[in-house]
Amino acid sequence: MDDIQAVNALVRRCVTGDAAAWQEIVQQYHRRIYNICYRFSGSAEDAADLSQEVFIKMYRTLSTFDTTRASFMTWVTTVTRNLLVDHFRKGKYDRITDSLEATPGNQDDGLTLAEKLEDHSAGPEARVRSQEAQKLVHQALRKLSPELREAVILRDLQDMDYKDIALVLKVPEGTVKSRINRGRTELARLLQRSYKQVS
Amino acid sequence: MPSENQSGMQCIECEGLLAEAIDGALHGSTLAAFEAHQQSCTACHTMVEEATAGMHWLKGLDDVEPPRHLVHNILTRTIGALPSEHAVVPPRGEGWLDKVKGRLAPIFAPVATPRFAMSFGMAFFSITLLLSIAGLHISDLRRLDLSSKGIAKTYSSTQARVIRYYDNLRLVYEIESRVRDLRRVATPEKEKPPEEPTPKTQPKSDNRQDKDRTNQNYGRDANQPELAASPAGNEQGMKNLTNQARLNRRTA
Repeated sequence: MDDIQAVNALVRRCVTGDAAAWQEIVQQYHRRIYNICYRFSGSAEDAADLSQEVFIKMYRTLSTFDTTRASFMTWVTTVTRNLLVDHFRKGKYDRITDSLEATPGNQDDGLTLAEKLEDHSAGPEARVRSQEAQKLVHQALRKLSPELREAVILRDLQDMDYKDIALVLKVPEGTVKSRINRGRTELARLLQRSYKQVS
Repeated sequence: MPSENQSGMQCIECEGLLAEAIDGALHGSTLAAFEAHQQSCTACHTMVEEATAGMHWLKGLDDVEPPRHLVHNILTRTIGALPSEHAVVPPRGEGWLDKVKGRLAPIFAPVATPRFAMSFGMAFFSITLLLSIAGLHISDLRRLDLSSKGIAKTYSSTQARVIRYYDNLRLVYEIESRVRDLRRVATPEKEKPPEEPTPKTQPKSDNRQDKDRTNQNYGRDANQPELAASPAGNEQGMKNLTNQARLNRRTA
């Protein structure tokens, strides 16, 4: 509760024109916003551009933030999500249709996709394999539809609760749960299908 | 797929509880019914397994490190300032100038961006170019006397220069000479009796007369150049000029 009040005070300072407060907000939220943009767009460059646009939009509309309606975190996520959806609708970030097998198949490291995904042992090699597995999951995530993708990103990557996700996505809580379930299931199927094709 | 099995739970209910089940939020009889259903229903069992696996894979994704210059770029594009601790939080014991700067910085932050700086630069360049084309130089401003006496002096000298300019115009000379001629023409007309018919050759003789009078007028000073002549054969012009002469005489 204290954190919420502290953030609200920070926002109020920022609205009055305090540059230090704005800098603190940027420092506090840029990582989260960048990660949402990165997981949604799938590209580091696009994520950087989108993050900047999100902050510019936030800076311009900060005075419209209502502390009684939602937390600042939810508001920030809503602004980010709306911008991402706008960009997606413009056709800038279309659904990725390239093959999930393309990346592992081209790399001649002697590891099957199953090994890359399931090897979680310690050590440098395992770390490399884990990184490879992360790439594959990231690519699979990009293949999900935007509705399912944003739901699982907010739930499993940003650890938001269903109520806040429902506020951000402007859909009922039941729909949020359904989308999260479908997103997780589809992602698992995509990875399993790729595993079967490779092995 | 059976819609309802021995557990008494339907597949659609199982699907609705899936999210809570994976989160570990189900307890008591609901959890028991859910587990019983998924053990008896293959489709729901597979669905639960897939959803759990998908969640684990997603949870395994680490946070990505943002680019090093992201914060700097964001601050530059929003408040136009660099992320410097000293720039934002000034040290204690700062001077009044720093205080003023600190207060004004957030106000002018939206304007103090590279884009606006570029626009101001272009505007300054354009104005300077126009001034140099017009013959005005910034260095001349230093010599300006902006005291009340200086301004009054500048005003009177400029006024005198303008008057001299218009007095020396050739057109003014011409108009003055014509007016003078017309005055001379108008004066004998009044003296003549009204019954006397005007011959058709009158303009010709008038012209000669005017010429003579003009010569007489300007003949007073031999060195003075003849700047104007009376109009030849233009009756309408003559009438207009006569009217103008009358007006001038009245005003005189």
